[in-house]
Amino acid sequence: MIRQYTLARYALARYALALLIAIPGTGFLAHAQEATERFIPIGQSPGLSGKETMLGEIRGVDANARSVEVATSDRTYRVTVTDTTRIWIDRSQHKLPAITGTIADCQQGREIEVKLADGREDVADWIKVRPAAP
Amino acid sequence: MHEPCIAPASQALFLAASLSLLACTAPPPASPEQALIARGEKLFFEETFGGNGRTCATCHPRENNFALDAAFIATLPSDDPLFVAERVPELKTGFENPRLMREFGLIRENLDGFDDLERRFVMRGVPHVLAMRVSVASVAGPRTGWSGDGAPGDGTLRSFATGAVIQHFTRTLNRVPGVDFRLPTPEELDAIEAFTLSLGRQADISLPLALKGTVARRGQEIFLDNALGKCNVCHVNAGANASFGGPGNNANFDTGVERLPDQPARLTTELVPVDDGLGIPGDGTFNTPPLVEAADSGPFFHNNAVETIEGAVAFYNGRVFNESPAGRFLASSDPQGVGIRLDATQVVAIAAFLRVLNALENTRESLALLESTLVKGTAGSLRVRETLARAAAETGHGIRVLREGGLHPQAVARLEAARKQIESARRSSLGRGGHVRRAIDAHRLARDELVERTSP
Repeated sequence: MIRQYTLARYALARYALALLIAIPGTGFLAHAQEATERFIPIGQSPGLSGKETMLGEIRGVDANARSVEVATSDRTYRVTVTDTTRIWIDRSQHKLPAITGTIADCQQGREIEVKLADGREDVADWIKVRPAAP
Repeated sequence: MHEPCIAPASQALFLAASLSLLACTAPPPASPEQALIARGEKLFFEETFGGNGRTCATCHPRENNFALDAAFIATLPSDDPLFVAERVPELKTGFENPRLMREFGLIRENLDGFDDLERRFVMRGVPHVLAMRVSVASVAGPRTGWSGDGAPGDGTLRSFATGAVIQHFTRTLNRVPGVDFRLPTPEELDAIEAFTLSLGRQADISLPLALKGTVARRGQEIFLDNALGKCNVCHVNAGANASFGGPGNNANFDTGVERLPDQPARLTTELVPVDDGLGIPGDGTFNTPPLVEAADSGPFFHNNAVETIEGAVAFYNGRVFNESPAGRFLASSDPQGVGIRLDATQVVAIAAFLRVLNALENTRESLALLESTLVKGTAGSLRVRETLARAAAETGHGIRVLREGGLHPQAVARLEAARKQIESARRSSLGRGGHVRRAIDAHRLARDELVERTSP
């Protein structure tokens, strides 16, 4: 009986180890439904805006380094745009749908919100940028 | 003709008596938490957020266990907001697939983006929203929706409603806030979260239970046997958490469901793209759902691939699961190299166990609802009639899950008696309390048919 119990515990431990290590997708990052994130205007992302994101104005852009300088109310940050960074153009103020953008849409003086990639202090996970009036 | 004459002293007495009566019948004051839940409930059932007419309850109707299936959809009138894509030209294409909705209860979601509405989407069932208190939190962060990534923002249950409004409530496919809908306010998100967390079980159960039914008892043994059924490895105590990795391990797994042959929706000529699960692009994994509430909330899996609880259990016995990453790793840890291999009787026994668990949960919920109507000061209110209607529906679900499994006919008879008493209570005012008490007694007798009594 004790042997059976021990074997069962051992088997369970092996399952646990195997599953935790090897099954893809048991990752430890919180995933948000970023598809709908695109439609949320700058500064209104629930639980993120004002807490986990940078809100400010684009101070400058380095196209070669693919980086954007963001001035917030208290300091200036430089964030890098990678191939996995999503850039959305928030046109809600003009009653137009949000669209996918590129780093070329990050222009000096525009309002911007940046969420950094998990565990990174300089890489953007997503960027929302507000265009000039049409 | 004389006015009825009441002497001043009598008037005072009458007034005092009336005030005293009013004091007795006034509902007890709500705590701040109760008030928040009540506000969330109102929002959940009534608020359209300026959109196409849908509410949260359009897809999560209370009378159908907060879930959707084709049978329930067939009872809805043609002008129900669920069918908005059939009526509104702006939503005719790229919003829903009416055929797959009506035939299989599937809803269209753009989890991997909105850039290609014609070809890039997934078709998913509507999961219930019960027991969220114990099925969202995980060591990897909150897991909402089928693949665990259903909420925008910080990915929490609180943020879920924002994504749902954008995806499902919009007037046009432009999805412009302030034009096609309005986004929920922070206060509304707090309230909706509080309401959804209040639904169903507030804690996991503790297995094994002292079940009375022979087949269900054997099903429980197999469920808990980590060398045979292995169910408890990922659904510890029939919940959403795995039995490893510490508390709150509400993990994601690739069990191969997406690769099932002959999925109902894919038997049609309609386009049903591959659902890649968690993330963009997806990693093929889906989140572990709780099982206590499973038997009466089918169809099963993210794609409504299987209609019955027996079929859902049998899935883990099949080739697709055993060749999936999750199945292969179960096999690699088995002394005989077996993932899950069960005979038909064992499959049915596990399903019988899950049916009994579900019926016990129906009874727990019904008893809580019935007892709430006996609280002093609630008699006669409209709220009581609504609560009784919910208790009747809940009791009906318990009857159905047992009857469809050919289980516990005596308990079914008790539940039928309970339901009759509840219906009588709904119709009467003066004798309502007596009917409710008799319904409670019948429910307790039914429960005693299912499980040994553990408390007086």
